[in-house]
Amino acid sequence: MKNRIKEFRAKYNLTQEDLARKVGVRRETIVFLEKDKYNPSLNLAYKVAKALKATIDELFCFEG
Amino acid sequence: MKKDKFRLILIAILTFTLLVGIALYGFIAISEKEVKLGSLISILIPLLLVIFMTFFIRRRYRDIKQGMPLEDEMSRKVMTQAAAKSFYVSLYWLLCISFFEGFFADKLFGLEQLDASQTVGGGIAGMAVAFFIFWIYYNRKGKLI
Repeated sequence: MKNRIKEFRAKYNLTQEDLARKVGVRRETIVFLEKDKYNPSLNLAYKVAKALKATIDELFCFEG
Repeated sequence: MKKDKFRLILIAILTFTLLVGIALYGFIAISEKEVKLGSLISILIPLLLVIFMTFFIRRRYRDIKQGMPLEDEMSRKVMTQAAAKSFYVSLYWLLCISFFEGFFADKLFGLEQLDASQTVGGGIAGMAVAFFIFWIYYNRKGKLI
C-alpha cells in the first residue's frame, strides 16, 4: 500500500519522532510505514491521518 | 509511561538473573571439570540472549526517555509472527532431536542417550534461537501479514 506520510510530514514540518509521539507509536513504526514495509490497521491509519490533518484516502493508496 | 518503565525494569532484572545463572552454571561446570560441548552451548546460547537483551534494554530505555511507548501495534505483530514461525520451526527441530538423539548425545555430552532435561533443554533452546532470528528478521524486513 503506497502512502504520502512523508509528504504530509514535510508539509507540517514534523520529524518522524514528532509524528510517532503524536500517534503514540514507536519511531520504527513510522519508518516502516513510510517505506511501505508495514500495512497499518484501520485504527493506526486513522490516528496517522488525524495527526497529519488528512483523511485516510488522501494518505493511503491501495494498489491491488 | 510508568507501566512501560516498570516492565523495562522487570526485563532488566530477568536479564541480570539469567546472567547470574550463566555465571553459576559456568563456575560449577568448570569446578567439576566437566566442560563438554553441550555445557558450552548451554552457556553460549543464554549469553547471546543476555547480550541481545542488553542492547534491547538500552534502546528501549532511550525510547521511553523520548516519550515513546515500549511496544505498539507493529512490535506486537512482529512478536506474534516471530512466535508463530518459531513454533513451526521448533516442531521440525524436535523431530530432528528425536531422529539424531544418539548423535547429539555422543557429540555434545559424550553419552549414549540424552536424558529428559537435556532433550527438553535442547528443544527450548532451539525454539528460543529460532524466535530471536525471526524477531530480528521481521524487525528489519517488515512485510508483516
